[in-house]
Amino acid sequence: MRHLKRVVTHQTVLEKEYDVVVVGSGISGSIIASELSQKGYKILILEAGPGKDLTLAGYEKYLNHFYTATSKDNNAPYKRNPNAPMPRSVDVKKKEPGKPNTDSYLVQNGPFISDFTYSRVVGGTTMHFESKLPRMLPEDFNILSTYGHGLDWPIQYKDLMPYYRKAEFEMGVSGDVSTQTFSKQKAYADDYVFPMQEMPPSYLDKCVAKDVDGAEVKLAGETYALKIRTFPQGRNGIPNKNYKKFNNGELFTPVGAVSEHQVEEGERCQGNNNCTPICPVQAKYDGRKTLAKALGTGNVDILPQTVASRVVIDPNTGKVDQIIYKSYQELDSEEHTTGTIKAKLFVLAANAVENARLMLASGLNSSSDQMGRNLMDHPYILTWALLPEIAGTTRGTICTSGISDLRNGDFRSKQAAFAVDIHNDGWGWATGGAETNLLNIVDNQNKFGKDLRNELVHQISKQLLLANMVEMMPDPKNRITVDPKYVDRLGNPRPIVTMEIPEYTMEGISFARQLSKSIFQRLGAEDHSKYDPMDYGYLEYKGEGYAIRGGNHLAGTHIMGTNADNSVVDRNQKSWDHKNLYLVGAGSMPTIGTSNTTLTLAALCFMSVDEMVKDLEA
Amino acid sequence: MDMNKEQLNVFLEMSTVLTAFSEYELKGTGQLEAYFNTVVEIVGQGIMDELLNAFAEVKKIANNNEAILNKQLRFQLLSNDKLGPITRNIIKMWFIGSWYQLPNAWRENYGESQKDITFVVSANSFIEGLLWPSIDSHPPGAKAPGYGTWTNKPQITEL
Repeated sequence: MRHLKRVVTHQTVLEKEYDVVVVGSGISGSIIASELSQKGYKILILEAGPGKDLTLAGYEKYLNHFYTATSKDNNAPYKRNPNAPMPRSVDVKKKEPGKPNTDSYLVQNGPFISDFTYSRVVGGTTMHFESKLPRMLPEDFNILSTYGHGLDWPIQYKDLMPYYRKAEFEMGVSGDVSTQTFSKQKAYADDYVFPMQEMPPSYLDKCVAKDVDGAEVKLAGETYALKIRTFPQGRNGIPNKNYKKFNNGELFTPVGAVSEHQVEEGERCQGNNNCTPICPVQAKYDGRKTLAKALGTGNVDILPQTVASRVVIDPNTGKVDQIIYKSYQELDSEEHTTGTIKAKLFVLAANAVENARLMLASGLNSSSDQMGRNLMDHPYILTWALLPEIAGTTRGTICTSGISDLRNGDFRSKQAAFAVDIHNDGWGWATGGAETNLLNIVDNQNKFGKDLRNELVHQISKQLLLANMVEMMPDPKNRITVDPKYVDRLGNPRPIVTMEIPEYTMEGISFARQLSKSIFQRLGAEDHSKYDPMDYGYLEYKGEGYAIRGGNHLAGTHIMGTNADNSVVDRNQKSWDHKNLYLVGAGSMPTIGTSNTTLTLAALCFMSVDEMVKDLEA
Repeated sequence: MDMNKEQLNVFLEMSTVLTAFSEYELKGTGQLEAYFNTVVEIVGQGIMDELLNAFAEVKKIANNNEAILNKQLRFQLLSNDKLGPITRNIIKMWFIGSWYQLPNAWRENYGESQKDITFVVSANSFIEGLLWPSIDSHPPGAKAPGYGTWTNKPQITEL
């Protein structure tokens, strides 16, 4: 595929007419560009970050940047870019009383300080996401009417089902449908299978399962038997023969590395244990795989290093007239030019925070005043222990299995549901990884030679980290705002985050912590979890302290609803206020349940395409 | 840099004692010269000479007795204010591929080098870290063992 030829200049853009302008080349923007371009529509994508990673060489620069980075955080593969900055966990600091934290890209107003991140590069945050791809549960769509918390969706699970299938095809899901049976309703057609077989569970998973499977948990009058099961993942594995009937009689073909030339990479996961921040062989799905398909149609152009700066509304029609952008040549220079782009249809696909930021920076709060509000993420409480046996930790994908039994149940009228990941990469997320152990063994335990090596095995190969991902409901008070006081180098307003973890979620966090204690007891594992009051994410609840981590599952900021008074977009992610504007991605989701958001937002994008086509035909 | 071959051999031999990996395994990482050079660039040839001379002395006293060698290594190198932090940094380089900034006390007493910051020696040094083979694994993001291998029991035996 000749992707680079589709990276165009501003001069070219001026001379062409586009049907659709898409802001952002992440998964949402790429799906929409791919689907519409296959129907012949002319699309222009504006991407704030650099566009060099459409070649294998460009991707390998990212990889090298990761290898040589002293901090291997989610955005470690990318050079700092003050023209389109991105949040990095290494920049997060504890809140100072009485004033917001302002010295990194996200202005944090508190009271809760989150270390959530996203990536402003071609491919967006899917570049670093783990690619765990569970569907939401049928119950999640009616959570308010069923359990009295959160919001009901304007659509039902069954409306989204065919689009979930499309998303699972697009992202190449490996998994076993029979592990996904914790809904009380029918969530999959009887014979449905995922495109590829499940990722084999890790040896660590099996060490945990042998003592945890069958453990009973009593909650709100119901008894749940725990079972360690694999997660569906967007990662290349072995195609499932039974998928043929869902793929015109053909075996699913895994999508390999994105490149200008044929390369033998990306065909099957090799177990690099590095899905986050970067899969070195591109066996993991990322948005560029869909983008490459879009560019391959010849109907899509992409303008990298071009930051959408303002959405301009025609006062007579209420429609979007144009987008004003700022385009820069170099990452280390603030020099830029300003221009405008027109099209029939505009799609903002820049993620939940950036979509809201751009609209608010344009003075477009939405007639519902919900723009930027209802900001959600999945707060994580990490718990970690040392197993009594060597479990081979640090091998496999970042996570192959976990506990999903407490994702649903009547207890949701009282407390948040949660899912538990077994982290094959060990304690890294909580403690800094194997490097931390090494430094401690050398500097404090004073070991060298054989003793050092034996101690490494003892301290690392027995590590078990459970990442408890807890449900968080929409609350208009949790929000993104902007203020002309806080701008980035190009003068674009920076997002201001105001977030508080609701009591409903804290109840879930507290329960998850207790469950981990009980699991560690069953396993005979030493509980090493500790939460430092000086930690930026430290919160106390009912006398116990917790250090909470961001999940990067940002959602809710342009919430979907039934009318212009209660929401920003309709069921097709179309703006109620501006009839030629779509705001797409997790920002449209009214709730996020206990599902990592990407599969659902991908399904929503496939669904919206049908409506966009109607608009374009009209 | 013009590396003294004899010194490089002493550095290699010292590294086998510090890491419990053989000369063959250490050479196999391709990092020997890079680590030797990193030490010299940061602390200077003079201190490198002192370090290697001290190790030569330790070896002489030990006279092939492993217990004495280990004890003398602690006495002469690891417990020494000047040589201890460097020796520990050499261990860390072999295992994880990074140089770590020396402790403040060391920098005050023995001179600060502008190059003495925490850094990954190179992309390859990260990939060749010996921590990973020590636990029958591989560095995150490189030397992947292949599809599905993670489901098997690791092959780890105590040394």
